[in-house]
Amino acid sequence: MQWLTPLVGLGAAAVAVPLLLLLYFLKLKRREQIVSSTLLWKRAIQDLQVNAPFQRLRRNILLLLQLLAMTAMLLALAGPILALRKGPGQRYVVLIDRSASMNATDVTPNRLGEAKKQARIFVESLRGGSAMSLANTADHAMVIAFDHHAKVMCNFTSDKRQLAAAIDAIGPGDGTSRLGEAVTVAQAFAQSPGVEASIRTAETPAQLILFSDGRIADLETIVIAADELVFHRIGQTQDNVAITAMKARRAYEQPEQVEVFASLANYGAEPVTRDVQLGINGDVRAVRSVTIPARQTGTEAEASSPGKVAVNFSLSHDGQGVLEVRQLGDDALACDDAAWGILEPPERLSVLLVTEGNPVLESALRSCPIARLDPCTPAGFDALDPALFAVQNPYDVIVLDRHTPAHLPRCRYLAFGAVPAGIDVNSPRELENQMLVDWRVRHPVLQYVNLTNLFAARARVLELPRDAEVLAEFTESPALALLRRNGSTFLLSGFDVLQSNWPFEPGFVLFCYNAMNFLAAQVDGGEQRDLQVADPITIDDLPAETTVTVTRPDASEVEVAPDPGGTARFPGTYRAGVYAVEIPDESVRFYAVNLLDAAESDIEPRQEMALSSATVAAQEQRVERANVLLWPALALIALILACVEWVVYNMKVRI
Amino acid sequence: MPATRPTMRKLTELLDPKFMARLDSLDVLSRKILQGKLQGERRSKRRGQSVEFADHRRYVVGDDLRFVDWNVYGRLDQLFLKLFLEEQDLTIHILADTSASMGLGEPAKALFMKKLTAALGYVSLVNNNRLTVSLFGDGIRTQLAHMRGRNYLSKMAELLLTTDCDGFSDFEKACRDAAAGRIGSGITIVVSDFLFKQGYETALRRLVSSRYDLYMVQVLSPQELEPQLGGDLRLLDIEDGDAAEITVSSALLKYYKRNLAAYCSELNDFCTRRGAVYVRTNSADSVESLVLNYLRRVRLVR
Repeated sequence: MQWLTPLVGLGAAAVAVPLLLLLYFLKLKRREQIVSSTLLWKRAIQDLQVNAPFQRLRRNILLLLQLLAMTAMLLALAGPILALRKGPGQRYVVLIDRSASMNATDVTPNRLGEAKKQARIFVESLRGGSAMSLANTADHAMVIAFDHHAKVMCNFTSDKRQLAAAIDAIGPGDGTSRLGEAVTVAQAFAQSPGVEASIRTAETPAQLILFSDGRIADLETIVIAADELVFHRIGQTQDNVAITAMKARRAYEQPEQVEVFASLANYGAEPVTRDVQLGINGDVRAVRSVTIPARQTGTEAEASSPGKVAVNFSLSHDGQGVLEVRQLGDDALACDDAAWGILEPPERLSVLLVTEGNPVLESALRSCPIARLDPCTPAGFDALDPALFAVQNPYDVIVLDRHTPAHLPRCRYLAFGAVPAGIDVNSPRELENQMLVDWRVRHPVLQYVNLTNLFAARARVLELPRDAEVLAEFTESPALALLRRNGSTFLLSGFDVLQSNWPFEPGFVLFCYNAMNFLAAQVDGGEQRDLQVADPITIDDLPAETTVTVTRPDASEVEVAPDPGGTARFPGTYRAGVYAVEIPDESVRFYAVNLLDAAESDIEPRQEMALSSATVAAQEQRVERANVLLWPALALIALILACVEWVVYNMKVRI
Repeated sequence: MPATRPTMRKLTELLDPKFMARLDSLDVLSRKILQGKLQGERRSKRRGQSVEFADHRRYVVGDDLRFVDWNVYGRLDQLFLKLFLEEQDLTIHILADTSASMGLGEPAKALFMKKLTAALGYVSLVNNNRLTVSLFGDGIRTQLAHMRGRNYLSKMAELLLTTDCDGFSDFEKACRDAAAGRIGSGITIVVSDFLFKQGYETALRRLVSSRYDLYMVQVLSPQELEPQLGGDLRLLDIEDGDAAEITVSSALLKYYKRNLAAYCSELNDFCTRRGAVYVRTNSADSVESLVLNYLRRVRLVR
């Protein structure tokens, strides 16, 4: 037996018991009656008491019944629990999924709430190990909440109140769910004795109790024995309409024209028609009705895929803006009903071309949508004052053609045929007759660029540092590489275009175009404004002792101080939405944090989880209380006793 | 008789004239014919002054010369005294309880007591007996002693009508006083409820005497005989304020009645053993029937 609220019961007892006794002595207000003499009455009372000893008992039986009834009530107040589970105590790890899909409201209040509720019941049902329990030793449990990473809410303990408080403290998130880290953490903790180190050895395997909808991304990487994991499935429905992709882009030719693409997915079994709304800076610009086909069910549950439809909007907007695409309709999961994008103002680049003369390159660059192209000789470039260059920063991109400059102001560089000094790249020798063997097709710089036929008669060997990104490779050396050094970005080409057949390829112009666009995107200090949930917001180049204020989507504010290097990082992007960052003396910067995860938006709860080691089926039943709460029975007993007391009192008066 | 009219009128507040008319034919009867001080209307075993001749005896110095039989002296020249069967008066002593407890009851026990006292006093006075009426509470409070003749009826009525019942009862002190003040022989009648906490035995023993008949009339109210109570009560003794907390139940009432019967029966036994007569009455009964029937039967009146 354990007591949930012993102090409440004791406090009530301290007040109620003396009160009842007092009432018992005070309660009988006898009517006064004058008689000639009490002589005979006293004798009668004596006779009554002497001849009928039961009478005395009957008088006191009322007090006895009242005391019993009150005792029952006081015990009920103290919340006794009868622990019926036998055996030695075990160790449990309670894993609670708090990813985006757990925010679905198909169960009340939502899946996370239900998971917490069931986890609480589980925790309350643990064996306490007290004298009145059937268990020999107490159960220990720890609580881990996880989405894309795991958070230990409470280390191993047998204190149920602490465990319950830890469960209550779990807040919702919009992240993706990954169990691997949680399992690793749980196993690590299970190796060491908990905070209440007892005689138990560390060999006892801790049982993992998972409360989740089963939509976990990294199931196939987890190795646990099937009997180590108990999976409690939370959730009922699969109906959800989500925005799974969203992208806004300015038109090449007309920068004020904005194209917005969005992809909607329907995870339900029925096709749905939904209105999709586009807003910019809070103003609704367009609403479009789309019909999304139903989920396609394959032969197996794994093979089913959601019905998808793409929507695109175009609008005219020159200037910065926060785009919002929202599907207007109620479904179980709200956080994937909208997606946000940050629209940068149209910007045209100023480009400095440092070359002895390269008409091919110059004409290719001129065909790019740039504002200004200033050709310059290498001697002229070296003669520029680097300090002035750093302050004014007149060019967005500097293209170096076969030139190794004496100084490198902070800027974006596209270098052909020579390697700038001081960026940890060596070029010891020259190669001849090189063919490209591999290149990264998906990199923005090489998008739509076909390098199959590229041949370089001469090329420099590039010995790159580890953090460099290789975009294309010759047989013996990297051909194209991306490197960030000293606040500058370098796009390096190991060969001179005039020593290759590239100018004759259409891919060269495309490459120039992509490179300009890519380097232009690096203008804002390489800052990424469109983030996934849990990506940190990073703000570089802040003056010292500046504090930035981050406003979350729910309007709460956090102040972030930058590190000595001038970089402020805000990692708390756990909810989807638009985050506003206020930097003193600057305009407000907006960051869009989106879920945009087709797997997480699929909220259909899984019947079984296929781990890499085993398949764990969901528990058939909800978590039941293994302990008997005794207070309802005690309350009933108190009621019955009160009724009996009433009957006895009436009998006594009427006889 | 103009002098008796107010008397009669006052006494009629207690006694019905018809009842009084019937009482006229009654007399108080003593089982022990005892010597009185004055010549009464009763035959005494003592020889003395009376109409009825009994015997002669020789004169001795100091005898009353009035009783010398001069005729015998003329014939025999010797002095003889005439002796008569002396007719003696009877002393009737009524001790009536006027403690607070007598004031209770519906009808009040006091009223019954006063009526009974009045009736017995009337009979006594009408028959020229010596009557002493003592009203007692904690000792004798008021007393009308040695009344004789109808003229005292008004005084007696006045006393009875003006007395209220209150205060404690100290029966023993009352009996002590009464026994001390008693002279001659006669009848002692005690009218009370006999509910004395300190007991009645010692007191009554003082009243028991070879020269006095003892009659005890216990007056109880119907409420005492058959209590109509219910619920949780705090019974207060009207005299000493003593409280008894009871919860009325059938068992309790049963024990009360049993106790009452036992109490009365003890009193009766006590009286019988000492040659006294015990009479128990209900204050709701009529005094007339008590006097005319019951007291006749116990030969208090005739």
